[in-house]
Amino acid sequence: MSSGNSLPSTEDDGPLFLGARLNSGSHEVAVIDEHGRDLLVLPVPARGHSFAIDSARRRAVAFGRAPGRFAVAFDIDGGSAPHAIAPPADRHFFGHGAFTPGGRLLLATENDFGAGQGVVGIYDAGKGFARIGEIASGGIGPHEAVLLGDGKTLCVANGGILTHPDYGGQKLNLDTMQPGLAYIDVETGDLTDQVFLAPELSRLSIRHLAIDALGTIWFGCQYQGEPAQRPPLVGRHRRGREPELFAGPDETLKAMNNYVGSVAVDASGEIVATSSPRGGLVAFWDAATGRHLGNRELADGCGVAPLERHHVLATSGRGAVTDLSPGATGLLLPPAPGRPAWDNHLRRMG
Amino acid sequence: MPGSHPALHSAPVRQAPKGMAAAISILVFASTAQAAGDGSGARITDKFAQPAFAELQRAAAATEQEIGALCTAPSAEALAKAQGAFAELVSAWGKASVLRFGPLADEHRMERIYFWPDPRGIALRQVQATIAGEDESATSSENLAQKSAALQGLPALEFALYGSGADDLAGGAAAYRCRFAEAIAGNIASIANELLAGWADGTDFTDAFTAPAADTEPYRSAGEVDAEIVRALSTQLRFVHEAQLLPALGADIGKARGKRAPLWRSELTFVLATAQLDGVRDLLNAAGYESAVAEETSWVPGAILFEIGTARVALDGIETVPSDAFADETARDKIAFAGFTIESAAANITEKLAAALGLIVGFNALDGD
Repeated sequence: MSSGNSLPSTEDDGPLFLGARLNSGSHEVAVIDEHGRDLLVLPVPARGHSFAIDSARRRAVAFGRAPGRFAVAFDIDGGSAPHAIAPPADRHFFGHGAFTPGGRLLLATENDFGAGQGVVGIYDAGKGFARIGEIASGGIGPHEAVLLGDGKTLCVANGGILTHPDYGGQKLNLDTMQPGLAYIDVETGDLTDQVFLAPELSRLSIRHLAIDALGTIWFGCQYQGEPAQRPPLVGRHRRGREPELFAGPDETLKAMNNYVGSVAVDASGEIVATSSPRGGLVAFWDAATGRHLGNRELADGCGVAPLERHHVLATSGRGAVTDLSPGATGLLLPPAPGRPAWDNHLRRMG
Repeated sequence: MPGSHPALHSAPVRQAPKGMAAAISILVFASTAQAAGDGSGARITDKFAQPAFAELQRAAAATEQEIGALCTAPSAEALAKAQGAFAELVSAWGKASVLRFGPLADEHRMERIYFWPDPRGIALRQVQATIAGEDESATSSENLAQKSAALQGLPALEFALYGSGADDLAGGAAAYRCRFAEAIAGNIASIANELLAGWADGTDFTDAFTAPAADTEPYRSAGEVDAEIVRALSTQLRFVHEAQLLPALGADIGKARGKRAPLWRSELTFVLATAQLDGVRDLLNAAGYESAVAEETSWVPGAILFEIGTARVALDGIETVPSDAFADETARDKIAFAGFTIESAAANITEKLAAALGLIVGFNALDGD
């Protein structure tokens, strides 16, 4: 479906945001501006999840939702044809990935379901995204992975949950889960550092990551244990230390309902936003202290990405696009039945 | 610019998404308190949960007793009686296990009774090692309750009663194995007692489930109770299909592996699955949704019940033993058809039933995202 619509210009170099969504029964990925206006829409074969972004080349890769059988590399400005990327038959994507600096390599979290181990697939962007190898993710069920500021260390959230496509969405190892963070040197493939949550939190699956202004990893969790237990769902990790967890106020923790869907920092990296679509809220945290700063309501809200200092752009499954800060909601597009349902993640480019 | 390639286009806002099928979960924001004792939770507790767990408790105690008799006076007849009691226990569990929230979600009771799926065969390995090593500590149900979940429940008991070497039980040449089996049955009976106690009138859980209010936990509104029921119904259906039937079915007949199905040794695979479908049916009936929803959606529960019944008939009509059925063309067709209708019923529950009950459908809160 081509369009004669006049599209907003991107030449002012304002930030762009990428998200997957469901629109009238069709799956697509969209690039929007900071006002929530569509700049580019690309149909995809199934439900999308998150993106790897190569800002230098203004290129991104959209990953299919786990168990993902597709990824699509595309030009953010729509300049060239999208390029399909498929995982090997005995692997599937988990929905997240990252580019190495300069966009040379694409790294994707994947399931080696035959071995029941997580891997990071390596794809050469210069060779049509040919898969040139893989490295162990350091655990089971790797989900989000982010490249640290040194440009060569990949931090992987190994959620710990074993799945196999033969068993649909069933979780196969709840009694032996060992969620943790793995730090991998992507040049050598070496596991340079690894931390696990305490044994009593073995069912607290670490899934989503963001890096704050000081380079500290922030993570959001989903609890697989007894629903009545409410462990903290938000934490941070500084290399060389143990992971720290922040519970926040009891009411916030209860509202989050054992589920954080996405994690982002604001544009300054000073505050952290964690969304809970089950709780219909985005919670804010002070990155320096872990102090809870406040919540904003957003029904079925999940996508969060840096917008300005102390602000994030957030999207919802009901079509809302909103500017959130710890004390204010600036609704850009209200939720409405006819609007596209935004999927879990929103990513910023530029 | 956008539009320069046919695959890239602008996106006008269009109609509400349809067919979110597998991609939804239920969120509840309403907080109307349910008047005590007249809601879906109260009906389910009274008509389904308490009787189902009482039957589980009875069947487990009977199994423990029959195995005790077998251990005292081994004979082929005593073994057959113990196995018959086990089959009733499997049926009782199949029905009750749809109630996978509340007391069954506490203390890992679900996995301790039914450690499944188990793609790596952990239960088999641990049970064989226990029997081979004659671990005395595994012959008391109290001790067993502290051990691996894989040793505690139905898969372990099935191997003890039907696995290789089980014939020796009839001749008295397997005294240890018999005592181990008795302890497993005793442990299941203890867990069933706890479940029955958890669902008894007056517990915090039952109070919240039957009369949710702003100050009750874990449910604060009738909507939260209904969301739990809807989730339980769809989760159980998907469990039957994804965890029990699909892995054995394989992508094609050449990849069928009946021994990946649960309880194939006792040939109770489809007995379990039909009992699980009966549990879904009985829970849905007990909830009384047909009269609770608006007239224009009152057909929804009936349509779901019809699909569940269709799947049940298909599975019930399988005449081949489970270990061979998945690779048998006729039986395989029935299993695949049952799987299809089970998935359809699950989708109708999460979409149409949830909507009919006024539950808000969320897009972003699925496990694993």
